Amino acid sequence: MRQPTPVRPLHGLRILLVAALPGFGTALPGMIAALPGALAAQEHRMMGHGEHGEAGGWRMPPMSAAMPMVPGLENALPPVRPFLIGDGMDPAMFPAAEPGRRVVVADGDTLDMDVSVVRRTIGGRDYAMLGYDGQYPGPLIQADRGSRIMVRVTNRIQLPTTVHWHGIRLENRFDGVAGLTQDPIAEGETFTYEIDVPDAGMFWYHPHMREDVQQDLGLYGNLLVVPPNPDYYGPSHREELLLLDDILIDDQGLIPWGEEAPTHALMGRFGTVMLTNGVDDHRIEVRTGEVVRFYLTNVANTRTFNVRFGNARVKLIASDVGKFERETWVESVVIAPAERYVVDVRFPEAGEVGITNTIQAVNHFRGTFYPHEDTLAVVSVNGPEIDDEVAQAFDELRENRDVIEDIEPFRALLGKPVDLELVTTVRVRDLPVPIVASMEADTFYVPPVEWNDGMPMMNWLSTGTQVTWILREPASGRENGDIDWRFRVGDVVKIRVFNDPESFHPMNHPIHIHGQRFLVTERDGIPNTNLVWKDTTILPVGSTMDLLVEMSNPGSWMLHCHIAEHLHAGMMFVFEVTEE
Amino acid sequence: MMGEMLTLALLAGLAPGSGDPSPGIPPGTCALPEAFGPGKAVHAPLPASAAPVEAPAYYAFPVVSTRRLPGTGLAAGLGEVTFADSPFGVTLAEDGSYLLDVWLSVERLMAPREGVYVGWLTTPDLDQVERIGPLADGGPLRGRARWNKFLLVVTLEPADDPEAAMWTGPVALRGMSRSGQMHTMAGHGAFEQENCAAYGYD
Repeated sequence: MRQPTPVRPLHGLRILLVAALPGFGTALPGMIAALPGALAAQEHRMMGHGEHGEAGGWRMPPMSAAMPMVPGLENALPPVRPFLIGDGMDPAMFPAAEPGRRVVVADGDTLDMDVSVVRRTIGGRDYAMLGYDGQYPGPLIQADRGSRIMVRVTNRIQLPTTVHWHGIRLENRFDGVAGLTQDPIAEGETFTYEIDVPDAGMFWYHPHMREDVQQDLGLYGNLLVVPPNPDYYGPSHREELLLLDDILIDDQGLIPWGEEAPTHALMGRFGTVMLTNGVDDHRIEVRTGEVVRFYLTNVANTRTFNVRFGNARVKLIASDVGKFERETWVESVVIAPAERYVVDVRFPEAGEVGITNTIQAVNHFRGTFYPHEDTLAVVSVNGPEIDDEVAQAFDELRENRDVIEDIEPFRALLGKPVDLELVTTVRVRDLPVPIVASMEADTFYVPPVEWNDGMPMMNWLSTGTQVTWILREPASGRENGDIDWRFRVGDVVKIRVFNDPESFHPMNHPIHIHGQRFLVTERDGIPNTNLVWKDTTILPVGSTMDLLVEMSNPGSWMLHCHIAEHLHAGMMFVFEVTEE
Repeated sequence: MMGEMLTLALLAGLAPGSGDPSPGIPPGTCALPEAFGPGKAVHAPLPASAAPVEAPAYYAFPVVSTRRLPGTGLAAGLGEVTFADSPFGVTLAEDGSYLLDVWLSVERLMAPREGVYVGWLTTPDLDQVERIGPLADGGPLRGRARWNKFLLVVTLEPADDPEAAMWTGPVALRGMSRSGQMHTMAGHGAFEQENCAAYGYD
C-alpha cells in the first residue's frame, strides 16, 4: 500500500553552483584562546539548545557541555528555512522500512525500485525517512560482470530525485546527475536506468540531488558486481556488508536540514548516532575461526571512519573498482565518504568483538586531541573453532596477477609529467563575525582530517548560501563550473590535486570522478607501490596527490568533492570525454 | 620515583636557554617564522627541505638551537612530515593517532668535540620516546611519530647506542609539531610549560 507523501517542497536544487563570492583575508595573527571573551565560561546545556530553544523550527545540534559557546552566536540561526520530511506528522502513518534484501538481477532483466517515505526506528524512536523499495539500506543489487541490467525507478516522494550509480563506468545518460545527464525524476515519474557493469567489485547508488538530505535520510544501497572467476577473491566463509553512516539526532529527534541550501557547509553534517546498515545496534554472528569478507561502504555525508575490528587480523583485498595488486595486512581501514574497501577478517577466538570507529578527535577550543571510539557493530563469535582450508588460506597474502596485468599498460605512464592541476580552497561571505574571527584564529593548526565536528555550532550556522567550496585550476584561474576540460577516449591524464592549507578553513576532501577509473600514483611525492583502481580518494589538508585517469568512457562527467555539503557549496565541475 | 626524577632532569634539558623569552604565553603572539610566513625570525634561517619526498609545507616545523652547546648557536633544522606508507592515503596508529614519517634535516651544526648528535621523537609529556638515530652530515634523518602532538629533539650523547630508550645528554636542538600550535592556556612543549618562541615560532 502506497502512503501519502506529505513533505514540503525542497528548493534550491542547484546542480552547478559557480557564483564567485568575495573572499575573506587569510588568517589573522592571534589565537582562539585570545579572542576577547571567547572562552568565557558560557557553557550551554548538553544535548540541548543553549539559548536557542526552538526558534522558527530550528534546534541547535547537540554540543558537548565542555565546549563553550562563542559569544555573539547565542541566538544565531542558519539563514535558511528548516526542513524535515513528514514534519509534524506521526511517523506511524508511514510503512515500516524493512532491512535491505539481496536482489540478483540477470543480464537483461529489469528491477523495479521506488523511492518512498518510510518509517525507521533508531534508538527506540520512530522517524519519517526515505527508502529505496521500502528498505534500509536499499536493496543489494547483484549482477554479473559484463551484464546489462535495468533499474526502473519510480519517485513516490515530493522531492525530485535521481539515482547515481557510483563508480560504475556506465553509459553517460544513465549516470544520474540531474541537469547534466537527465532531468530530475519528479513525483510520480519513472526513469529506467540501463546499467552496464564492466568492473567487478562493490559499488553503490544514491541520489545526485540534495544528497545532504536525501542520502542522509536513507537513500543509499550497494551494487555488487560479481566476477566471472570464482577465485577472483581468495576463499572466505561468508560475506557481510557494512554500510557506514551517521545521522544527526538530539533528544527531540532529527535536526532539520536546510531547505534552500544545506546547513553545515563548512565541515559537512556530522551525525551523532552511528548507523551500520541503517541501524544503531548492528550485530553479526560468526563461528569461531571463520573468515568473514566485509564489504565496507562509507555512505555518510562527511564523516571519514577509521574502522577497527578489535584485535582480529584484517587483510585488505580490494577497493572501489577492483582488487589491489597485492593483499596486505592492515591495522584498520580508513574510509572516506563514498569510498569502498573489501577486507577479510578472521575471528579466531570466541567472544564479542566490537567493530569500532577509533579516532583521535580534536577539540579546537581547548587545543587538544582526545581518544574517541564509536561502536559500529558487534561481532558475536561462537562455537567450535573452524580450522579448515579456508581458515588456513587466510594467512596467505595473494599477489593479484590479473590486476598487475590490467595495470601494466599504464605502468610506463605512472611517472609521466602532470597534465592538469587543481587546488582546493574555500570562500565565505556573510558569515557571522564571531565565526569568522574564531575560525581565522583557529587556522594556526588544521588537522589533515576532520574526524569529528569540533565546532558543531559554527558548522551548523554555515550554509551553502555563505560558503563556496572551490576546485580551482591554477593554470587558467578558473573555478568549479567554469573549468573546461576536454579529453578523448583513450587519453590517460595525470591530474595533480593540492589541498591548500592556507585557505579560510581547509578540510579534507574525498575527490570523486564519475564514469572513469583512476590510479593514485603519488601522495606528497611518495610513489604508490600497491595500486588499485579507484573512483574516490581522500585528499588530506596540505597534501598533494597525483591521479592517473583512464578516460575510457565518453560523455559529460562530474568531478567533485563527495562531502555532500561541499558538493552543494559548489565544489564540482563537468569534463567532457569524446569518442576518438 | 627514579622515573620522575629522570623526567624532571630531562625537562631541565628542554627548558629554554637564557636568551629565550620568559615563559608563559603572550596572547596572540604565536606565529610561524619568516620561512613559513609573516613574522620576525629570531632564530637562524631555516634550511631548505632535504627530505626525499614532497612533504606538505604546512606541516613542516622549525627545529631550533637551544644555544646551550658550543657549535650549535647557528644551527637550524627543519622537521617535515608525511604519512607513513599505507593503502589509504591517511595512516593511523592503533589508537587513531596519525602515523607519520618525520624527516629531520639540520644545517650549520658543527661536529661535537666528543660524542654524537642523536635525534629523538617524544610526546609533550615525555612519557614516550622514539629514537630516530644519529645525525650524520645534517641528515635527512627519518623517524616515525605515532602521536598527533610531538616534540623532536637532538641531543648530544656520549656514544651512539641503538638500544637507548631515552636520551641522557643535553638537548642541542628541538622542534614541535605544528599541531603543538593548537593553544591551551597552559602553553607549549614539554608539559605545556613553555611559550612558542622556545620552539622557533615567533
